Amino acid sequence: MNFNLTATIVFVGLFLFVTWVGFIAAHWRKADLNQLHEWGLGGRRFGTIVTWFLLGGDLYTAYTFIAVPALVYGVGAMGFFAVPYTILIYPILFLVFPRLWVIAKREGHVTAADYIRFRFNSRALALAVAVTGLVATMPYISLQLIGMEVVIGALGFPTEGFTGHIPLIIAFVILAAFTYTSGLRAPALIAVVKDMLIFITIFAAIVIIPAKLGGYGAIFDAVPKAKLTLAPPIGNSLGNYSAYITLALGSACALFLYPHSMTGILSASSGRVIRRNAAALSAYSFVLGLIALLGYMAIAARVDQNPLHADGFERYGANFAVPALFLDMFPSWFVGVAFAAVAIGALVPAAIMSIACANLFTRNLYKEYWRPSCSDAEEARVAKIVSLVVKVGAVVFILAIPKSYAIQLQLLGGIWIIQLLPPILLGLFTRGFHAHALLLGWAAGTAVGTYMAATRGFVSSIYPLEVLGLTVPGYAALYSVLVNFLVAVALSPVLDRLWPQRELLDQRSNRR
Amino acid sequence: MTTKARTGSPWRYWPRLLLIVPFALVGWVPLYNRIEPRLFGVPFFYWYQLAAIIAGAAVVMCVYYLDQRQTRAAERGPRAGDTDEGAGPGARP
Repeated sequence: MNFNLTATIVFVGLFLFVTWVGFIAAHWRKADLNQLHEWGLGGRRFGTIVTWFLLGGDLYTAYTFIAVPALVYGVGAMGFFAVPYTILIYPILFLVFPRLWVIAKREGHVTAADYIRFRFNSRALALAVAVTGLVATMPYISLQLIGMEVVIGALGFPTEGFTGHIPLIIAFVILAAFTYTSGLRAPALIAVVKDMLIFITIFAAIVIIPAKLGGYGAIFDAVPKAKLTLAPPIGNSLGNYSAYITLALGSACALFLYPHSMTGILSASSGRVIRRNAAALSAYSFVLGLIALLGYMAIAARVDQNPLHADGFERYGANFAVPALFLDMFPSWFVGVAFAAVAIGALVPAAIMSIACANLFTRNLYKEYWRPSCSDAEEARVAKIVSLVVKVGAVVFILAIPKSYAIQLQLLGGIWIIQLLPPILLGLFTRGFHAHALLLGWAAGTAVGTYMAATRGFVSSIYPLEVLGLTVPGYAALYSVLVNFLVAVALSPVLDRLWPQRELLDQRSNRR
Repeated sequence: MTTKARTGSPWRYWPRLLLIVPFALVGWVPLYNRIEPRLFGVPFFYWYQLAAIIAGAAVVMCVYYLDQRQTRAAERGPRAGDTDEGAGPGARP
């Protein structure tokens, strides 16, 4: 790969600009950042528009922008499951999370585990929720680095050895510094820049690239027929059909349980802001759908035939498809804009994820188990330090351990995080569930889901479930959360006899 | 949280039943797993799902407005429900 000077100058310029934005964010809607809800939730004051940018920047990550088209480039139609997935998240967001927001605001909750602790009065269940959140989010932060690494490599920087990691380390030091000083205000403000860059890049891409390749018809004609649709099931199996829709549904159920999504939701200024965004955020889904199609554009443009890209494909695999496409199709300066969009698109979620982890650790481990009487200022200070530790951890993880581990752990993370659905959903909408039953359900779901992924060697999360002689391949997260629900429903009445706690829970449930 | 209207009439929330529509649009894969008819050269599988994003957003928006109307109809004066707390219609950006 040749070093691309023009693109690098634009890239570095935009990066410096968002660094500046990240630091001035501390003065935006000035408040005492020594309070955890100010540092870690932006004071719960983000209105409809800021929340739109923040959640958009949070949920549609750099890794998504690289990996979804890479999947479409590699396997075709199956990679498009990201579209029904992002359709289904919004009815769920609309129905469930405004209610959680109201309680969190009233009780001063900063994390999902705070809510569970309050609602079920169970330290064990809250611990399970907190640890699951932490474990599921850490590899997700590392994945953001992969997105960033691909574009830095595509700019022509050497990526071998320690010197090769320097650009990435600099980027993360910057990220760590502004997150430390500005808290959630930094990613919220940077998200505005990031989303604008992404929108500009994608609209340029869907106009310029088809024009160069002879229109959409020509692009789809260049794709092998077998990739264009899902292979119809054969024999006694639902094949790709059930896999496709369970992946979409399971991912949709899991998304808002991630600590970083929760942080984005709880930082909104009202339940109404969340409901409005359940409609407005679809704009990002549409952009994601278009981004997915970049995978086919890369096939039609024959990026893999270009000898300049051989090195990149060897190093990054299909993840190099979109950067290669941009290098072939755009003038150098615009390549800089597009790559900056991806890199900044990694900073925003990485910042929010590290803040979410810091909130979880501080509230639900440090304060709960070590320093129950710690002051607000100490709480905020610990959270800031933890956000640094989390980022160092993510960098070390990605540099020291093969990337495939990060991807596999993230895949497991999806299976683990969805196990929080029963406690949160049943906590918000029912009265009688017993904390111990939910804890056992969580344990059973986690175990079953992990087992299902293990049978597939941790490379796929599609488990071929046998039901009455019919094979139903489906997303292990969805199957395992059903087990979780069943255990909770079955054991709740039994445990309630043994350890009655109805009265307290009725008081805390928000039904009637 | 505990508003009288909520206990009084669960039908206040009927618009939310419409949220089943996005699930119905994409839930049955064989419905859209086909190439023809194309739209501007884009196979059905792709343009259908892109259109479903817009349809889904339209449904959620409708539910939001119907919800607001039901809420206003159900209650007059100050309220403590979960739809209205915090920012007003012109929530600051």
